[in-house]
Amino acid sequence: MTWSDYLPVWPLAVSPALWLALTLVVAVLVSELMVRHLRWPRIVGYVGIGILLGPGGLSLIPELPAAEWRLVVDLALGILLFELGNRVNLRWLKANPWIAATSLLEATVTFAAVFALLVSFGFTGAAAAVVATIVIATSPAIVVRMVTESRAQGQVTDRLMLMTALNCIYAVIFHKLAVAVMHGETGAEFIHTVLPPLYLLGGSALLAWLFGITFERIHHYLGRHEETFSFVLFGMIAFATIMASTLKLSPILVLLAAGLITRYRRQRSRAFPPHFGSAGAVLVVLMFIATGLAADLAGLRDNFLLVLLLIAVRAAAKLLAVLALANNSGIGLRQAISLGVALTPMSSVALLLTLDTGTVFPGFASGLGLALMSCIVILELVSPFLVQAALRKAGETSERRT
Amino acid sequence: MSLMPFASSRPLTLGVELELQLLSCNDYNLVSSAPDILRRLAKSSHPGEIKPEMTRSMIEINTSVQYEYAVLVEELHALREVVTEAGRFLDVAIAGGGTHPFQHWSEQKIFDAPRFHYLSELYGYLAKQFTIFGQHVHIGCPGPDEALHLMHMLSRYIPHFIALSASSPFVQGHDTGFASARLNSVFSFPLSGRAPFVLRWDEFEQFFSKMTGTGVVESMKDFYWDIRPKPEFGTIEVRVCDTPLTVEIAAAIACYIQSMSRYIMVEQRTAPEEDDYLVYTFNRFQACRFGLDGVFVDPRTHERRSIREDINHMLARIGDHARELHATEALERIREILIVGNGTSWLRQTYAREHNLGDVMQLQAELWMGN
Repeated sequence: MTWSDYLPVWPLAVSPALWLALTLVVAVLVSELMVRHLRWPRIVGYVGIGILLGPGGLSLIPELPAAEWRLVVDLALGILLFELGNRVNLRWLKANPWIAATSLLEATVTFAAVFALLVSFGFTGAAAAVVATIVIATSPAIVVRMVTESRAQGQVTDRLMLMTALNCIYAVIFHKLAVAVMHGETGAEFIHTVLPPLYLLGGSALLAWLFGITFERIHHYLGRHEETFSFVLFGMIAFATIMASTLKLSPILVLLAAGLITRYRRQRSRAFPPHFGSAGAVLVVLMFIATGLAADLAGLRDNFLLVLLLIAVRAAAKLLAVLALANNSGIGLRQAISLGVALTPMSSVALLLTLDTGTVFPGFASGLGLALMSCIVILELVSPFLVQAALRKAGETSERRT
Repeated sequence: MSLMPFASSRPLTLGVELELQLLSCNDYNLVSSAPDILRRLAKSSHPGEIKPEMTRSMIEINTSVQYEYAVLVEELHALREVVTEAGRFLDVAIAGGGTHPFQHWSEQKIFDAPRFHYLSELYGYLAKQFTIFGQHVHIGCPGPDEALHLMHMLSRYIPHFIALSASSPFVQGHDTGFASARLNSVFSFPLSGRAPFVLRWDEFEQFFSKMTGTGVVESMKDFYWDIRPKPEFGTIEVRVCDTPLTVEIAAAIACYIQSMSRYIMVEQRTAPEEDDYLVYTFNRFQACRFGLDGVFVDPRTHERRSIREDINHMLARIGDHARELHATEALERIREILIVGNGTSWLRQTYAREHNLGDVMQLQAELWMGN
């Protein structure tokens, strides 16, 4: 027997998972410190530590294989999207059509403004359209997390969640269409331009509907046992997410629609624990850290002006659209400003759409895609502050100190 | 500050005030949407008045001065309609009931108006605990002495009004066992209880100026009495009722009080006595705790019967007066409550069926909004 049989060899050979585990501990501790002393949103800590320790920062964490963290992001995002869909009342759009109008106007103006900006910078129409569709989406992850964390309730909160759910749906569908158009430019047949969005929409709706029915059945039998029920739900979300990617559908669309459909079909309201229990909450934290680790600011140096303009134009478009219809839709000026500002976040949904585009068009990933990635990173760090301030100004956060 | 002179009003006219709950359609918890609802309603035309209350999850609807049950119900329907419409537009549900079954008092936010901030400062957490919902009924009196007479005579029947309107068994997620747990929150205020036993307005004015002299009160609003005179309206105001689960019951209880007042003014003509109040708090407690099944001790004969029986006796005596006032239908509804039960029994039955207070609240809102 030698030393090396029972003592570790120096230098230690550790699995990258160890560093990820350590990052989780550090990120959570740092975030709690920031909440206590600075009253900063926790997300900033999660994402910030990810950026700091990741390949883009101090490089303390070796780069993880994309597939590994992609699963975490997909699952956690699935939970947040289903949660968002579940808290949104689509019947409200019928009672107050001005909210639907605000949502459509906001998406259209955002698309048009960003499209015009990119074309004026000399990008092709198709590439500009792809980016302009991606930036329509407000980050459901940041919105749901901030609303949960601040225990906000009221008009701005409800509208923020409804409009976020809607603009994510627009973004996913029109992104698919824009990508198909890009294909058309590279010489694909017409049928392959039209079919992808239709398949995406039909397939996702069908899968979401099946999910909704199953959910109701299981809830009927297990609803009283909250903990058991959340485990089953968690498995279902994982199943639907993986199934959606296997079928080349959008997991984003499927889970968001599943949430909306279950809420719409249900006669009684249901309150679930945040992120459907602590397992979900851990995944959500990991997701934010992972988005930080994946942060890529490489495009910032070359496109500094473009990145800043993209963020500013997008934010202004959303704010102005909300302000334009505020009076008709029944909110005051202060509330409208809060709502418009709170629509700014951009994170995982945009990130996934950008990455998906990049895998199809490598040219996009190294060009405009890089600029977009920089926008996402900046907004992941800045927008939680904006949402926090907006909900506070609207008087919708809990008066109790957390 | 001295007391306002007592304005004369047409005898037996009535006005109803209802405090209502504003609920989120997501979880049917209270939601601080009063400013949004009021902003929306500022543009619409409606009878009566719609006003803010202490915390931002309540609003109050007031009818104009009424005389007949049918017209009163019609006006309450119109008010319900505009409020419900505004609620739908903002995804806010609206409900009756004396308490919210699972709201947390500390999460309530004080409505932004000087008086509410002053009260919040003075009473501390009591102000937020005051997120409870009552019905107030004004009865017109020809003069101040008549008002004091009616006030003391009606005091004997306070348990009737409590038991008929009771709809607040659940507080902070639990069944309190009370039919009206709401009144327990009112009793914690230092100036709650009953008015002093004085029968002439000049004596009442003396009492009031002595009280203001101590600096404890500034206006009649600072007294949280079960019944109090409202000199500027020329009315007395019965304040013990929970907001019932429907506007029809609210109108029926108002007209029951009106018919009883006519009986007191026209037929009974016996003078109130201070000893009537010996059993007052006992009877009131029985009504809060046990509702219609509570024990009622007659202050004059010391006989004991259930509150339900005592209401039945009263219904027999005031039938003619109700007919004069076109309030017969209201008394029919009161008889119905004696048989099928008050709001509290509806709430308990619903909870036994649904096992979930959120669902109870949703059904309660659907009942009030009339769909």
